[in-house]
Amino acid sequence: MATVKLTNVVKIYEKGHTPAVSDFNLEIADKEFVVFVGPSGCGKSTTLRMIAGLEDISSGTIEIDGRVVNDLQPRDRDIAMVFQNYALYPHLTVFENMAFSLRLKKVPNDEVYARVTEAAEILGITEYLTRKPRALSGGQRQRVAIGRAMVRDSKVFLMDEPLSNLDAKLRNQMRAEIILLRQKIDTTFIYVTHDQTEAMTLGDRIVIMKDGFIQQVGSPTEVFDMPDNLFVAEFIGAPKMNTFFSELVREGNKYYVTPYGYRIDLDEDKCAILREKGIESQKIILGVRPEHITRAAEGGIPCTIKVNEMMGSELHLHVSTDNGDSLIVRLPTVNLTADERAHMTRGNSLAIDFQSKVIHMFDPETQRNLIK
Amino acid sequence: MSKVKNIETDNLGRPVEATTKKTGMGIKASRRISNIIVYAILVLITVIWLFPFVGIVFDSFRMESTSQVSYLIPKQWGFGNYINLFTKTDFLKWFLNTALMGVATSVIQTVFVLSMSYVLSRMRFKGRKGLMNIMLILGMFPGFLTLILIYKVFSDLHLTEGMAPLGLIIVYCASSGMGYYVSKGFFDTIPKSLDEAARVDGATRFQVFYKVIMPLSKPIVIYTMLMGFMAPWGDFMMASYIIHENNEGMNVAVGMYEWLSRTMLNTTYTRFCAAGVTVSIPVVAVFLALQKYYVQGVTGGAVKG
Repeated sequence: MATVKLTNVVKIYEKGHTPAVSDFNLEIADKEFVVFVGPSGCGKSTTLRMIAGLEDISSGTIEIDGRVVNDLQPRDRDIAMVFQNYALYPHLTVFENMAFSLRLKKVPNDEVYARVTEAAEILGITEYLTRKPRALSGGQRQRVAIGRAMVRDSKVFLMDEPLSNLDAKLRNQMRAEIILLRQKIDTTFIYVTHDQTEAMTLGDRIVIMKDGFIQQVGSPTEVFDMPDNLFVAEFIGAPKMNTFFSELVREGNKYYVTPYGYRIDLDEDKCAILREKGIESQKIILGVRPEHITRAAEGGIPCTIKVNEMMGSELHLHVSTDNGDSLIVRLPTVNLTADERAHMTRGNSLAIDFQSKVIHMFDPETQRNLIK
Repeated sequence: MSKVKNIETDNLGRPVEATTKKTGMGIKASRRISNIIVYAILVLITVIWLFPFVGIVFDSFRMESTSQVSYLIPKQWGFGNYINLFTKTDFLKWFLNTALMGVATSVIQTVFVLSMSYVLSRMRFKGRKGLMNIMLILGMFPGFLTLILIYKVFSDLHLTEGMAPLGLIIVYCASSGMGYYVSKGFFDTIPKSLDEAARVDGATRFQVFYKVIMPLSKPIVIYTMLMGFMAPWGDFMMASYIIHENNEGMNVAVGMYEWLSRTMLNTTYTRFCAAGVTVSIPVVAVFLALQKYYVQGVTGGAVKG
């Protein structure tokens, strides 16, 4: 159990090239579960590997439990790591895989046995201890990989996309198991994923990255409800947030937006923030999450349904506005009658509406959230 | 009116593949004929290849004559040639010299080659690619270009003639690291994350190498050892320069050649054959025992699995 602190960490692979990680600053509290999330090539795995000591740091400092570890070998950092491709030793049995680190430390046999069997019981892999990794399924292999990290009883637990190689069903199951595991082993976790669902469900805090830069650090609720910028807004949430150009108009102390010629007055909370920032009428990027769009009782923005995706509990409609913008609308099927559902097919029209409290507004130039 | 084509279907209404229907000569018959032709060619090649070796084996057991004869099967069988070989000549000394060189070269060369290959496969350092290219180009020059130079240097260092086995071991091992290609290709197929997992687990670089990589590299270790053993075992050209007719440091190839040049072939031919068979026994035995690994080692780097 330990804190992890990264100060101005930079990683440049080749001189003259764009940094893979730029000016990364983050403090991770003891026993916190932090998730690094972002698209491929955003620097999340590189950052994790720098914490692990598998990559050198170009500049900056990394501290684990108050000790600068920049120049320490991975073995001296007291960390455990789970890899995306499991990285189990193929020539060793599951037991010996899990015992590998303890054997290197020359831990007495009795203790090795006790620690490995305890971890195996927690993970439900006791019956596979004598097998070689090739005789295990993907899910079992990942459990062994987690078990191998568990027995080390290390200060920080690093996980590099541990569920990426599993099929969707197993991934959901393992995700739930990681939540349970976290409660049992109660240590500091740093988890890397490109899957925003994993990030949202697992993390105490999420670090969203793009092109080597941190875009936002916050709790799942914070990053979902109050994204710092357009990238975060679109990255977090599935299906992704609808964004389109619109006008923000100031009328005295009040503001309203005009998506597709339809007027939506902003609520007082938003108006207060905009007033405080001295924002006048301007062009903006408006963001609305698919689940926040409703069918208009009367009036509304006229759209044409292009694609209809029946997801069971909800209906995803890809609609097109009069000016050709594509939007996604997510409607709970429980609120739809059979007739309404039958009507929501390709080519039919649908009028949509959304409320002031659910909209997000971004500056088209800086792409920053205007309400933050 | 167009002709309606009847398509056969199975009980679920799916069309039956045309290949399952009988056509012309039939697939089985044509396959049998092509097999007969292929096997006939293979048998012919095998006979041509094996004939000299079988001839040497028969000649080594021939007791009625010491010279070459015009028939294959000996009229009188016996171990006389083998007994003569070990009792009346220095063959045993040459054999042991060669074995010593083979084993020592094999061990030292394996350490050199595997270390070099592992470093080139796993570590990234300045000049790595340049170094690999230089070694590749240097490897294209035939070894005998350096013969005179090596002889001169070794002669000054007194590593020729009686000390030839030591000198030859140095020659064989000296540039062996340049033969890193096959084993580097093999190491490249072992995921790097295994090294990383072991390093996080507390292993040093060396522990990663011998506790994780080596056990997974059995085929390539065996392949490298075999290659290391084979080169000195059959070497004649380099050995003949360094040994320079000194009986103390002689290896089997140079020693046996001496028989051909110094004495009449007619009086030593069957003994020569017995020596040839004896020399080939260890190699054949080792290859038979390890052929499984040998094939894996040669092809290991070919396809990334």
